[in-house]
Amino acid sequence: MHKLIYFLKKIYIPFIFLTVEVMAIYFYSNATPYSFSRLSSVSHYICGWSGSLFTRLGNYLSLKQDNIALNERIAELESLLANYKALYPQTVETELDLSPNMYVPAQVVSKTLNRSLNYIVVNKGIDDNVRIGMSVLSPEGYAVGYITNCSQNFSIAISLLNTSFNVSARLSDDRSMGTVSWQGGDIHTLRMSDISKYANFEAGQRVEAIDFSEYFPGGTILGTVESKEMNDDQTMYSCTLRIAADLSRIDNVILVDNREVEQVRILKQEPVAAPTTLEAVNEDTINQ
Amino acid sequence: MKNRSQYILFVVVVLLVQVLLLNNLTFSPYIAPLAYIVLIIMTPLGTSPLKMIVIGTLLGFVMDITMGTIGLNVIATLPIAYFRRPILHFFASYIDMDGEGGVPTQLRISRFHNYVVAMVVLHNLIFFGFEHLTTANFGFLALRTVISTLISIAVVYFFIGIFTAKLTQR
Repeated sequence: MHKLIYFLKKIYIPFIFLTVEVMAIYFYSNATPYSFSRLSSVSHYICGWSGSLFTRLGNYLSLKQDNIALNERIAELESLLANYKALYPQTVETELDLSPNMYVPAQVVSKTLNRSLNYIVVNKGIDDNVRIGMSVLSPEGYAVGYITNCSQNFSIAISLLNTSFNVSARLSDDRSMGTVSWQGGDIHTLRMSDISKYANFEAGQRVEAIDFSEYFPGGTILGTVESKEMNDDQTMYSCTLRIAADLSRIDNVILVDNREVEQVRILKQEPVAAPTTLEAVNEDTINQ
Repeated sequence: MKNRSQYILFVVVVLLVQVLLLNNLTFSPYIAPLAYIVLIIMTPLGTSPLKMIVIGTLLGFVMDITMGTIGLNVIATLPIAYFRRPILHFFASYIDMDGEGGVPTQLRISRFHNYVVAMVVLHNLIFFGFEHLTTANFGFLALRTVISTLISIAVVYFFIGIFTAKLTQR
């Protein structure tokens, strides 16, 4: 009991100081919409940072168990593949080629972050089956950019941090769509605009690529909503996204060739045989 | 008793000058001197930490009311009041604060200038940092902080000069 009283006597002054300071910050944050918005984003950043720190620590401590589980999974898949090859020796390779996505791991050779048109150079090129239009994802599967040019051994990708890059995306829970782009400046945030005013979403909701996106496989996470605001004429929401992939630290990437999207893209480029105007339809009817 | 009445008069004069004159300097956005921090700087050495917290909170609260910034002045003033003792100890470790009493002056503290500048700079950094809350337009923020801090230091020294000249030192 004496120790408790001694302890309380020792900490009551710092406690009072912290309490009054926190109260002052609380009142200040609610004083104006600007201070509320800024302090909220700082708060989200600190929460996100500390959460990510604990997650990384947890992941590191569970590496041993993860390795054991991965080894067991590899053994299981190896035996499954062996059985499959024994049953269908002719068709295994062909069927593997029919999977919708092809993945090519690559390393980042160089990247820029301080320009308005930032890019990433990776160490895989045409010789490694890389082609223009392939998606670039982080090792965690988050969106990073897409390939715009290839040489025999290297490729250049436009990253999300490029003011000319717009991608259609949707809110993961609400499914409302919008356009994501980078406005320049902060390398950790993107802007999502043209979201329906009826969309129901809050900070923390994930934003992902739409199905049949031209740049990323459907469902690829671009970022999480940090703050939202209604536009001046009260018709659309815009929101600030925190980019899921840490582009300032990215060293390894996965290049993804989405073959289904490529098929759609080719179809769009082919000339359309059917009549497209009313006059053409009438001429067809008269001829018949 | 004489010192106490002089200190109260000093508080009133500083607050009036801050509220009526310094808060109304509107000819440049880069100039926003916060000289009321001199009241924390010149608080008697023997003031207990609890009293410092009360003084810092009240001073910040009064300035918030007069400046229309709910909480901002308390956010900036309270840490300065709370950490004054360690800051003073850093610059004058030889002083027995509880035993000696009296106000900190140049005669008693050899690194008095460092102490004053450190207090004003810390206060201004917290104040302007929380006022802007963003690093966008950083040039403006930095220039406003630097110019306002320099002017604040000059005004603080002006007040210290008046106060120490009038006060009967122990």
